[in-house]
Amino acid sequence: MTEQLLSPQGQQCLQALMRVWFDFERQLGRVPLLQRLERGQFSKADYCQLLLNWRQQVIEGSRWISRCASSFDRDYSDVRSVIIGHAREEHRDYEMLERDYVAAGGNLADIQTAPRNIGTEALHGFLMYRASQPNPVDLVGAMWIIEGLGQKMADNWAVQIDQATGGDGSYTRFMHYHGANDDNHMQKLYQLLNRLCQSPAQLSDIVRTARVTARLYCLQLEETDHDYC
Amino acid sequence: MSVYITSSGHFLPGPPISNDEIEPLLGLVHGKPSRLKRRILQSNGIQTRHYAIDAKHNTTISNAGMAAKAAEHCLSSSFLGKRQIKMLSAATSQGDIVLPGFGSMLQAELGLSDIELHSSHGICSSSLMALKAAFTNLKAGEQPNALVVASELTSRLFKASRYEAAGSELDFNAEFLRWMLSDGAGALLLETQPRGKCFRIDWIRSFSHADAYPVCMSVGYPGNNQHTSWQDYASYAEAEADGALLIRQDVRLLENIVKLGVDGYLRLISEGRVQPDKIDHVLCHYSSHYFKGKIFDMLQRAGVGIAGHKWYSNLYSRGNTGCASIFIMLDEFRRSQPHQVGDTILCMVPESGRFNNAYMQLTVVEP
Repeated sequence: MTEQLLSPQGQQCLQALMRVWFDFERQLGRVPLLQRLERGQFSKADYCQLLLNWRQQVIEGSRWISRCASSFDRDYSDVRSVIIGHAREEHRDYEMLERDYVAAGGNLADIQTAPRNIGTEALHGFLMYRASQPNPVDLVGAMWIIEGLGQKMADNWAVQIDQATGGDGSYTRFMHYHGANDDNHMQKLYQLLNRLCQSPAQLSDIVRTARVTARLYCLQLEETDHDYC
Repeated sequence: MSVYITSSGHFLPGPPISNDEIEPLLGLVHGKPSRLKRRILQSNGIQTRHYAIDAKHNTTISNAGMAAKAAEHCLSSSFLGKRQIKMLSAATSQGDIVLPGFGSMLQAELGLSDIELHSSHGICSSSLMALKAAFTNLKAGEQPNALVVASELTSRLFKASRYEAAGSELDFNAEFLRWMLSDGAGALLLETQPRGKCFRIDWIRSFSHADAYPVCMSVGYPGNNQHTSWQDYASYAEAEADGALLIRQDVRLLENIVKLGVDGYLRLISEGRVQPDKIDHVLCHYSSHYFKGKIFDMLQRAGVGIAGHKWYSNLYSRGNTGCASIFIMLDEFRRSQPHQVGDTILCMVPESGRFNNAYMQLTVVEP
């Protein structure tokens, strides 16, 4: 693995992003659904509810990242290549999530027709808006949060869900899968950070977008407990 | 006004106990050797430690007694006599008796008269909280000096009979700390004037995150996520039988300690309190080998890593003595490790109880 050395600006940005991440983890620690998971008081029905709410964001996720790629102009064609690759890798992840939902006892039609919860609306709206701006450098902050979540899902939640619901990993594949290629993903993120964070203004934009993404992600998870029907 | 650590001392009871000697001393639970011992000892890296109980489970010296010995050791190399001490600030996770406060018992043991008193309660970080209370008291001009003492006698909780009283099977979380913690005391003397080569306290800060995480280390709950207090039982015997008096660590949550430790460090950098390239020595209560892996790789990349040779610890030879550790470490550092005037020392105490992380920066000065 080649080490990605960061510029001084990139280093400062990484320090700030680490703090945003740790704060996000504390916010997650206050989400009721995740507190129940932490205590092991979490049923298969809770898990299905989580997937049902999550799917909509996973589908939208592939859209904002494709939009983000197309908003980078010719001066950023190298960045565009990286992001297109990422979008292509993940844009059908939701199918794996749907299979998990069915394997856990859910009905495919339910998850496919569920509306976005209001947290997902806000998160998706924000990310699509940012992704539509010319050269949306700040979205590396959103990628930081979402990449981190993928690792947290695989390292913590998938295991806890299997434990709490007596699962054998057969319906937590989507979550487990996000732990694969960890190092590779981190290398790409460092590379993007180095490339996209070159001024104090870009640094503060990146950190702000990371914060907003984290807050709205939490809102989406908090809303999982709400029943709109 | 500046505040200086002008002397320090420590006390460790009895001889050093090797890994092979622990179980004969603490006792076999239900007559069977532990299956977890080797794994836990390997992971914490501790080679020797001290206990204030003997193999017959007599207490050889009380917690207040150890604290007094450490304080006397500290005063013996200071410029002050007991009569001149104006404040006592004491920390422990569990005194010899439930009430009154540990500070009162220690004051009597030490024979200090007419002092201002503070007792700090908690786990590992309670020593730095006690230190901060004394530090701010001196800084505010309320007192010219303070003796700060931290002491732990956890081995009483590790006697085989305690586990046996709590039923048949030991779970990992209840056994974990039996192979981690041991006894000892440390003391620091604070003054508003420097004496010879000493440490100026630049600042002390802590960040607590109890609102965001469950309890990680505790005494008083029966385990298995049951939140009945030991005081809710009809009798203490029932509480003990239900395992509510065992000391537990929710091992699953431990990784958060490292993250929060790094989080606090980054905050202090962004506040301008810590300048990573100016740090000459790091004294951390947590075993350094836990501080490796992904997050530390990230700290290096972020340009704020601290080189391995700057870390000092005596945890491996003196044991993990809870809140006393950082004082015992600082005392041994002061007596045995080279340090120059102008050197910056960063002390870190991440507490897993319910996630309180405390930090202190010292500068070596000589008037």
